[in-house]
Amino acid sequence: MNEIQVVHAGTVPYAEALEWQRELAEDRIAGRLPHDVLLLLEHPPVVTLGRNSQPRHVLQPAGIDVFEVERGGDVTFHGPGQLVGYPILDLHAYKQDLHWYLRTLEQALIEALGVLGIPAERNPGFTGVWTRGKKIASIGIHVKQWVTWHGFALNVTTDLTHFDRIVPCGIQGVEMTSVERETRNGKRETLWGESVAAVLTGFEKVFGTSVIPCPDGPARQDRASLRTPAVAEPGL
Amino acid sequence: MATKVHMEALSPTMEEGRLVKWNKHEGDAVKSGDTLAEVETDKAVMELVARADGQLLKVMVPEGTTVPVGNVVAWIGKPGEKVDGDGAAAPAPKSAPAPEPQKRAPPAVRSAPETPPQPAPIAPTDATRVKASPLARRMAKEAGVDLKLVQGSGPGGRVVKRDVESAPATEVQRTAPGALRTPLEGAPRTPYEDVPLTQIRKTIAKRLAASIGPIPHFFLTTEIDMERAAEAREALNKQLGEEGGKISFNDIVIKAVALALVQHRACNAWFQEDHIRYWNEVHIGMAVAIEDGLITPVIRNADLKSLREIGAESRELAARARSRRLKPEEYTGATFSVSNLGMFDIDQFTAVINPPEAGIVAIGSIAAKAVPEGDRVVVRRRMRATMSCDHRVIDGATGAAYMKTLKQMLENPLAMVL
Repeated sequence: MNEIQVVHAGTVPYAEALEWQRELAEDRIAGRLPHDVLLLLEHPPVVTLGRNSQPRHVLQPAGIDVFEVERGGDVTFHGPGQLVGYPILDLHAYKQDLHWYLRTLEQALIEALGVLGIPAERNPGFTGVWTRGKKIASIGIHVKQWVTWHGFALNVTTDLTHFDRIVPCGIQGVEMTSVERETRNGKRETLWGESVAAVLTGFEKVFGTSVIPCPDGPARQDRASLRTPAVAEPGL
Repeated sequence: MATKVHMEALSPTMEEGRLVKWNKHEGDAVKSGDTLAEVETDKAVMELVARADGQLLKVMVPEGTTVPVGNVVAWIGKPGEKVDGDGAAAPAPKSAPAPEPQKRAPPAVRSAPETPPQPAPIAPTDATRVKASPLARRMAKEAGVDLKLVQGSGPGGRVVKRDVESAPATEVQRTAPGALRTPLEGAPRTPYEDVPLTQIRKTIAKRLAASIGPIPHFFLTTEIDMERAAEAREALNKQLGEEGGKISFNDIVIKAVALALVQHRACNAWFQEDHIRYWNEVHIGMAVAIEDGLITPVIRNADLKSLREIGAESRELAARARSRRLKPEEYTGATFSVSNLGMFDIDQFTAVINPPEAGIVAIGSIAAKAVPEGDRVVVRRRMRATMSCDHRVIDGATGAAYMKTLKQMLENPLAMVL
């Protein structure tokens, strides 16, 4: 069975998380990282533009960082209350098929939302996860030599008004929603923990992986400890 | 020997990929494993990686190009090494595991030629080879308008007075002898821009070409007096008042089109190669313009629905069509369609049939016109409707009878409640 180490990284600025993912992916490609990794984190408010972005899809970029990144897709927003997952997977161990990977990521989130009592579905032609006609999770991925980075963003308690600044994913008129909004009676304090647990359950189920629990402690330090000790890494 | 770089498949079913970005440029040194370019499909980006060391000698496709899987996108080799410009010869060395050229599509790469033709200087006005009326010719000369740049609307494309008058300023260049055309303000300085077909545009192209080609279309136009429909609409909307959900002319047209079909089942039909399916239910497809295309959401059983229901449903469907959130069953299964360009001030037009349906009605704008009534002339609100008919299903008289009923319904909206 494939193993995946989950890293609960807390709040990480976008640029830092991006650099981290690139390093992990390079390590995975080179074989320095012996297993897959799933980074779970939140970003401070940021707007990111995928390779397919059109500037007119950013409506009011005022006061928020805007990043142009190498993932697929159009523009999206990340911010507090949004569970961001960056799987660093070597698809050689699964399927060398990016469409399979996109659909399977969607399925993992659909399963997770099912655990939370939210009926979710795909919207053919529009990658992401939808519930009752609204979009609840966005997906955009990148792959090099069949190792993935970037991933998904699930709105848990996200302040949805931030999405008014953009045309999410380039789809005019799309309405965003969140786990908090869809569960209604859920308690905000426990929702984050429940969502994380549900996502891990969904991931294990559809990818057939087993999650290696992450030791407690300041998550950022895991960044170095993930690697095999043979590789010295300056600056960490 | 130089090594080819091929477009790779991001998934087994993928036949082409869009090269979105070159990370290396001609002349850059590359080593095996370096990222050369990024290829995108759906929401996934894949890096195209070098499988040889050397220099990136030649880039075959510009950014933004869609390339069939297996096609050559670049060459890697020793500096100064010659590569085959069209990527046809020079077999890849065995050491470079090129991806299998599976499902190889035609080698053509959809892109602009690498050296766009220079815009040709426009010669001093030479109107002798343009067909134009003498008046148009004189007006053009006085205004300094190049007749060759004016679209003629007269017989045989002849340029007439109204063409010269109405030629939009951006298309009409004042020509001084030997002067070059200046690019439009704000326009990019390339002579043209190639935009790859989006999925919806490909579908539109395929479906509509499959329609106007094999389907023998014929067209029937009638002018309809909309005074009473307008009065009825005003009265109904007054009654609805602040409840919201106003009734539009389009709702009235859809209802009338549906009710007229109940009386003319011969027009409510699908052509099905070896048979014609005459429908007993009336489902009206409503053409909705969306960004980069159109889609026809369907109002099911429109003959049985009230104007208010049709209004609410058509607004809701149109909104979701624009946000591309229609489910397939919501835009398929129409038995007949309506296309309305009245809001764009189009007097009349012909719509292309959406197969397998046998007909579509094209609705023009409602405009006040002077019409004879007895021995005087009165001003009435009029609207032109044009039916496109599939002659394999509908004959001239059949279509005409339908249009007569439609006209009667709209001219006397009370007939709709009969």
